[in-house]
Amino acid sequence: MFNALRTEQLIAGIGTTARSAAGASGPPDEYARGQLLSAYSVSRLLAAEVSAEAALLAWLRGELIDALAAAPEDPAAVAAATRIEAAGDALEIGDALVDLLAELRAREAEERVRSSPRIARQSANAPELRTRIHAILREMAGRELAALAVRPERSAAS
Amino acid sequence: MADVAAIDPAKAAAALELLRAVDSAGPRAAVVGLTQMEGGWSRHTYAIDVEDPEREGLARYIGRVRPEDSVLDTDLGQEFEIYRVLEAEPVPAPRVHGYEPSADTPFGGPYFLMERLPGDGLNVWRRPDRELLEADWADGRGIATDFVDGMAAIHAVAPKKLAGVVVARDFRATVGRWREMYEEVRLVADPVVEEAYAWLLDNEPAPVEPRLVHGDYRIGNCLVGGGRLTGVLDWELASIGDPRFDLGYMALPYSSGRFVTAGSPLLGAVAERDWLEQRYEAASGLPVDRSVVDLYAALGALMLFSIMGTGLALYARGESSDIRSAWSRFVFPGLRADLAQLMGW
Repeated sequence: MFNALRTEQLIAGIGTTARSAAGASGPPDEYARGQLLSAYSVSRLLAAEVSAEAALLAWLRGELIDALAAAPEDPAAVAAATRIEAAGDALEIGDALVDLLAELRAREAEERVRSSPRIARQSANAPELRTRIHAILREMAGRELAALAVRPERSAAS
Repeated sequence: MADVAAIDPAKAAAALELLRAVDSAGPRAAVVGLTQMEGGWSRHTYAIDVEDPEREGLARYIGRVRPEDSVLDTDLGQEFEIYRVLEAEPVPAPRVHGYEPSADTPFGGPYFLMERLPGDGLNVWRRPDRELLEADWADGRGIATDFVDGMAAIHAVAPKKLAGVVVARDFRATVGRWREMYEEVRLVADPVVEEAYAWLLDNEPAPVEPRLVHGDYRIGNCLVGGGRLTGVLDWELASIGDPRFDLGYMALPYSSGRFVTAGSPLLGAVAERDWLEQRYEAASGLPVDRSVVDLYAALGALMLFSIMGTGLALYARGESSDIRSAWSRFVFPGLRADLAQLMGW
């Protein structure tokens, strides 16, 4: 979900590899053959990813907003929820999570060091919320792997 | 023998010049085979066959090249020197035959030549190779035994022999190295990676006596032939540090062939975990603390994020056309799953 290289960049890369192979003279060496096989693998994985992307993004957004709604008095959680609701893609959700988790980590660390009652009140939900987000991210990784493992020809046939 | 017509004359001449400079080939030697091999992310690898009327038999070499678009900034000369040191050690590694440090070579970068050991590299992401290793584990365990003993032999090399050759890094320095690279090359912000770095620093293990660490020790970086391990390759990530890094990196499901589906049920695709750890403890005399090994497994995953992230950045900037760099993007979901598991999420 938080993946570099956009779909169009990957498609262009597959095409470049195919064109390079078509323009080569003589039999391909191991390296050239490996490039072609990798291009095939990218095409298959990309097809699986595109098939699952919208559903996975909707699931992730929904889970995170539900989790953040449990901390309505936490300004960082509220801000993150706003960003996640408005996010156009998973990368923007990733940005919001990085900022939120950094804030929660900092609060927990500060609380450990200072044990200040004021900070303790502010961060009362921090470990719980952070743990909840961890669980969502773990589940997200599992769902993404399962989606990538679907062979596109099977997906199209179903 | 390779197709002679396909040999690049400039590369062949460069290889011969280097071999002659170190007296490993005579004036009438000729390159009769030269092909680029499949493997190599940070290095390009060539199989080079040489016939020399003044020497018996076909001499088979490997050319290791650091390309301009390498995913690692490690020095090829350092790797060459490690191989030289290992020639006197009980670590199965090829003998080297000369190093050309110039970046302007027909190979597209600095290169060195080394003997081509018998045996084949295994790819644990391919089912037949995993099945070969599972068969070894079920009957004989020659590869499994050599693999573990090889790691123990690496960790037994006296660090002073590599003084000035490889860098020494403690836990924090190693974490810092990969984090710095991640921040330098990342194209997207990854909350799992950010949390993992914080988790590592919150759980710093007590230090142990520094050892030679291979840094990329997995069966895919070894040669296997005749049911035994014949060579340990790919030393570009070697350092003096905590030997438990090698154990952790090997324990990653990635090292067992996990991609988007499960890989081998064997640790590192070679052996059951309890057996492997017990044998390592017996061979090395070093205790295995599984909680620390898991920390280093997480660090190994983060190292892969940084290295593959470098490939992705080069590819995105048009500085590399290696489609495997784009492919590596699909490794990340599995690494995130590994990190989540290791951190107990």
